Amino acid sequence: MILELLVEIQREFKDFKLEVAFCAGEKTLGILGPSGSGKSMTLRAIAGLETPTQGRIVLNGRTLFDSKRGINLPSRKRRMGFLLQDYALFPHMTVAENIGFGLRYLSRHEAGKKVAEQLARVQLQGLEDRYPRQLSGGQQQRAALARALAIDPEALLLDEPLSALDVPLRSQMEALLVETLSAFRGVSLYVTHNLEEAYRISEEIVVISKGKEIALGPKEEIFRHPRTFTVAQVTGCKNFSRARLKSADEVEALDWGCPLHVCSPIPEDMDFLGIRAHHLSLSDVGSAANTFPCELIRMIEGPFRMTLYLKLLMSEAPVAHHHLQAEITREKWMSLKERPFPWYVRLEPERIMLLRKDSANG
Amino acid sequence: MEFSLAPLRVSVETSIVATGITFFLGLAAANWRTRTSGRRGPVMDALFIVPLALPPTVVGYLLLLLLGRSSPLGKALESLGLQVLFSWPATVIAATVVAFPLMYLSARGALEQVNPSFLHAARTLGASEWTAFWKVALPLAWPGVIAGTILAFARALGEFGATLMIAGNIPGKTQTLPIAIFFAAEAGNMRQALAWVLITLGIASVALVALNTWGRRRRGTLSSTRG
Amino acid sequence: MKTVILAVLLSLAIGSSVWGSQPESQNGSINLTISAAISLTEPLQAIRTLYRQQSPNVSLTFNLGASGILEQQIEEGAPVDIFISASPEEMNALASRGLLLNQTRRDLLKNTLVLICPSSCKVSGFMDLTRPDVKRVAMANPDSVPAGAYARQTLEYFKIYQRIYPKILFAQDVRQALAYVETDNADAGLVYATEAKLSNKVRVAAVAPENSHAPIVYPIAVIKRCRHAEAAERFVQYLSGPEAQRIFEREGFVPVEK
Repeated sequence: MILELLVEIQREFKDFKLEVAFCAGEKTLGILGPSGSGKSMTLRAIAGLETPTQGRIVLNGRTLFDSKRGINLPSRKRRMGFLLQDYALFPHMTVAENIGFGLRYLSRHEAGKKVAEQLARVQLQGLEDRYPRQLSGGQQQRAALARALAIDPEALLLDEPLSALDVPLRSQMEALLVETLSAFRGVSLYVTHNLEEAYRISEEIVVISKGKEIALGPKEEIFRHPRTFTVAQVTGCKNFSRARLKSADEVEALDWGCPLHVCSPIPEDMDFLGIRAHHLSLSDVGSAANTFPCELIRMIEGPFRMTLYLKLLMSEAPVAHHHLQAEITREKWMSLKERPFPWYVRLEPERIMLLRKDSANG
Repeated sequence: MEFSLAPLRVSVETSIVATGITFFLGLAAANWRTRTSGRRGPVMDALFIVPLALPPTVVGYLLLLLLGRSSPLGKALESLGLQVLFSWPATVIAATVVAFPLMYLSARGALEQVNPSFLHAARTLGASEWTAFWKVALPLAWPGVIAGTILAFARALGEFGATLMIAGNIPGKTQTLPIAIFFAAEAGNMRQALAWVLITLGIASVALVALNTWGRRRRGTLSSTRG
Repeated sequence: MKTVILAVLLSLAIGSSVWGSQPESQNGSINLTISAAISLTEPLQAIRTLYRQQSPNVSLTFNLGASGILEQQIEEGAPVDIFISASPEEMNALASRGLLLNQTRRDLLKNTLVLICPSSCKVSGFMDLTRPDVKRVAMANPDSVPAGAYARQTLEYFKIYQRIYPKILFAQDVRQALAYVETDNADAGLVYATEAKLSNKVRVAAVAPENSHAPIVYPIAVIKRCRHAEAAERFVQYLSGPEAQRIFEREGFVPVEK
């Protein structure tokens, strides 16, 4: 059986048009996008909780939705395990009853066995007669996961499962999710707005912004080589400038007011430059290529890293506050801060991303 | 009028049947309403609630027109040989019509309060719409539904004006406790009237306590309805 | 489980009631439904007892209420066999719709209109109603109840209706008007003599002159759709007969001269 989920859907809203198309295979697909981009809506459409105006959804060769042929399978026939953001464990049922909710077609004996299996898998044995309100946040999540898996779904859909948890719990659950997803034999989709989470948990990523999918591919590719402005933004790039071609390997950064050497070949449709905050290096030596004197406008101290807001001293581009945002470790800061001015910031050519505008956004 | 326990029997039967019918009809209407968007919803709302706003005698008069000869429905019933006016079923109809809005409003409010996420989850787990309603929405809406049932029963038990109009005052057949009380009082038979009043109070108390206990028992597991 | 119990109870309830409410029992007895004006309550009870001895296979069901409502029920097809109304108007309405067995119609009784007051009486005649210390006057609603219509006619005869209009308490029927006066919630009231007789808490202050209102006549007729026309006609005859008329007289009605 081919393990594949094909999604091509459109839906119009008052001020927003959802139009996504992507394919997911056995590798966990992360759906990454800012809030309001339509990622949760997409997931719900796949699960059958919302109906697109047009399109097709095919899972493992089975058509779940096809507007042209008038097919729209109700959720209960789609065999998807859905883990909702607020878990939605039924408060009037025990954990065991919750997990067994989807198993009503089995005999009591069989269902009982399956429930016990699931309980063991998420390490909730002993809690089967508790009610959801008597469980901790992490336990509730595990119960919800067990409930979704109990029906042996063909696909697993997770809607921002970690966003409601606090940090220590989050890493625990993350480990459980990664394990579960790798053991799961089927298509799995993981929706989140958190780029670290998306990177850590999924293998492939589709980026959705303003209702459109703007990138799809292995996670390394997406993060290391975003092709467009929006993808770079969604994947956490903080420094952007409009760009103009100067020569085969030189570009003028218009918003930063400086010329930069970049890696060739330069794409024809390049409109922007981008560089990640932690790829900027700071020193008091200004000799290498792409190195410019700069002034520290503001510094914000984090627990492990520092964010520095820099202004390029020789820049001809006027700026409201700062040109660049750099991130360095605490240790680096300690050694840097005693150094005499001027400081120099270096934009390594290999790290400069050459981006184009997105077709409808950007 | 001699004193008899017939009004008690008529009232008890009428109220139980009317409340039972109202319970199912009201729940069904409320469930339908929570799943309907668009203009149809508010229009039906108005229709369902209108008996609450009208004086019972007016409701009775409208029912009389609806079930009597001058309406197509009445003519159809007559041709089938079904005599609805002045029959015991007419007392049930009158009681049901006036009690329905109370059940409908309470049930609708309770069902709307249920977090939609629960129903989404139920559907993805393979539940049909009926199962999702019966096993998830209804248990979570139970306190409101019980409240509605209590209101409906009380209203059905006390119904007078509409009943008099379409069922008449026929002792042993359609003379309910409220009607008996009224006519006894009218005739100056205060002792009879009072006796029936006390009987009514007795029934009402027993029934309300029973309904309340039934509601509370099913409610025991629901101290929170958030996910 | 609870649903099952409930369903069983419901069906038992429905079943037993449908069974219990059969108008005809198996041994061939006949049931007549008679819609009658409320002021006939007492005499009809007494007559029922007598008639049962006379014709044991006929059971009588009385549906008592305001004549206007009774008329509407009959018009809408309520299964009534005989109608006794408190004024000719309602009967005429039914006749014009062809709902009566016309040859069975006759005038059954007459009644008189009186002015009553509570035991602490303030009035001694109709003109006293205009006095300022008479604050509330009870009467039945003239638009829907014959007793009210007659009362209004009498008041108009004395030319005081408009004047005392603000102090009038309109009651749903003549019994209610009586109750208002009985309980001292009205200083005076206009009711039938038969009503006044019922209560020892009111006094008759005056009798309305016969020409101050249309004749108060109670017509009776058999309804055309009646299932047992013969039995109905026999009962109508009985009501016009000496035995029944005596009972009516005892309660304060005036028999119709033949």
